[in-house]
Amino acid sequence: MFRRRFSLGWTLSVWGTVIVILGWSLFPIYWMLVTSLKTNMDVFKVPPDFWPLKPTLENYTALTTGISPIGRFFFNSLITALLTVLITIVLATLAGYALSRLKFRFRDQILVSVLVTQMFPLVVMLAPLYLLYVKAHLLNTYTGMVIAFTSFALPFGIWMIKGFIDSVPVEIEQAAMVDGCSRLKAMWTVVLPLTIPGIVATGIFAFLDAWNNLLFPLTLTNDIMMKTLPAGMVLAFTGQFKHDWSGMMAASFITTLPVLILFVLLQRYLVEGLTGGAVKG
Amino acid sequence: MANKPDRILEEVGRRGFPRLPLPFLLVFPAIFVLSIVILYPLISSSFLSLFHYELTKPNEVEFNFLTNYNNMLHDDTFWLAFKNTLIFTGVSVVVSLVIGLIGAIAIDQLPERFAGLRGVVLVPWIIPGVVVGFLFMLIFDVEVGVANVILKHSGIIKEFLPWLMDEHLAMIAVIVANIWNQVPFYILMFTAGLKAIPMDVKEAAIVEGASRWQEFIHVTLPYLRGILVITSLLMVIRNFNNFPIIYTMTGGGPVFSTTTLVIYIYRLAFEQFNLGYASAVGIVWCGVLLMVSMIYVKMLYKQVHG
Repeated sequence: MFRRRFSLGWTLSVWGTVIVILGWSLFPIYWMLVTSLKTNMDVFKVPPDFWPLKPTLENYTALTTGISPIGRFFFNSLITALLTVLITIVLATLAGYALSRLKFRFRDQILVSVLVTQMFPLVVMLAPLYLLYVKAHLLNTYTGMVIAFTSFALPFGIWMIKGFIDSVPVEIEQAAMVDGCSRLKAMWTVVLPLTIPGIVATGIFAFLDAWNNLLFPLTLTNDIMMKTLPAGMVLAFTGQFKHDWSGMMAASFITTLPVLILFVLLQRYLVEGLTGGAVKG
Repeated sequence: MANKPDRILEEVGRRGFPRLPLPFLLVFPAIFVLSIVILYPLISSSFLSLFHYELTKPNEVEFNFLTNYNNMLHDDTFWLAFKNTLIFTGVSVVVSLVIGLIGAIAIDQLPERFAGLRGVVLVPWIIPGVVVGFLFMLIFDVEVGVANVILKHSGIIKEFLPWLMDEHLAMIAVIVANIWNQVPFYILMFTAGLKAIPMDVKEAAIVEGASRWQEFIHVTLPYLRGILVITSLLMVIRNFNNFPIIYTMTGGGPVFSTTTLVIYIYRLAFEQFNLGYASAVGIVWCGVLLMVSMIYVKMLYKQVHG
């Protein structure tokens, strides 16, 4: 293999760029953590301490005793996100399989429409959806929120899983069916195991979508006990308690942590799933 | 042939299920959910847009045909929101594209044992929008914000600036937060694109004595073109729809200076309860997005099918 000759200037500029980008990416997160460990008094110091001199966990304990039920928000987020993951995976796998393997009328139209739904601004759906939810008694329910979150995660999931099933050779499946498996059994025992990276990626995205979504819980719930973290935090920290910076950062960190853990554990699937479709050509 | 759908159909039929075609059974649940949350509201919105409909005055609902659309033409806030959306999206996408490209190339040059850094760079992208908003509210705060401390210390500004409370500065702060959040996505896409450049092409360029710059212009860029176009179109659409960062940081203020169309529609519907007018603005906005999406789908199709 031919390589370029080593050049000090180039190596330095590469590392310089990487370090600047790393610093820029990580500083705000570091700052969130540091601020969450300071007392509100220390937060107002100018110039600020770039390192918590007297680290304290009081902001975290205060979250459980404060006026806003952050624990309840967390629980709501977790329940709705996990249900969204489950339902999205099931629905996307069924649809993805059909769209990949079966020939039927309007298949291509369905595929494109599914992709296009992703482009519409959520905010436009909200008014009619709100009116519908009022009529159907879905306001302030987990069911209502999970349906909304799922619809948001589905298009990506369908395409992702369809892509993975596309890459499983039809012959394997046919062989299983010749051996007496029904189509559904062949799908379950042969195709599905090979689709797992796609299913995991779909699950992660569904979780992130549900966990991060602000608009749905903001509008489709008006009972504070039913808010998920994003909407609950907006209620808790903007407005009259705006200057509780360290509490705000503690809540932010609690909100970020599950997502961060998920990311560290499943990064490979995430990257594979995201870029797989786009660079195949 | 074994994989004809008829076989399973008969099977299902025999067990007493209605004789619905298998594709329909498999696709229906997903389509049903999408219909409730996306299709129905979209259709309903187009009807609502033809009415005078305020949530607080349910007795005064009346059909007013295109009045809402006509009002939009003379609504200064609508046009300001339109302009803000273009600025927010345009600046965010262009700057992120450049940072993303430089970042991807630099990271691609690292020796294999530093590959883990690629993952670290992606972290801002998974931070929830509300948290991103909170982080940059803190960073740009006039009293305690580090942005002021750093900028003043390096001599770029003389006095602490009230970033989020100033009509001209708020947009900058919001865009910086947005860029921080989304640059990783560009890096991710471009890194994948760089990996897809055939080794022999790069080697040929080196053997021919091309400089790094020439290699970039004549090899890297042509190979990345497809992915550059697709990534920017996708991000244009995403930024057009961005809500949480702006909503948490400024709520669209001060005085509409960071009100994008999405924020405007939200405020019309859920703060002024003017559902008819909000729907009309929404429908116009959907039209614009649909056009961008069509280009995106076309490009994606071209990329995948050569």
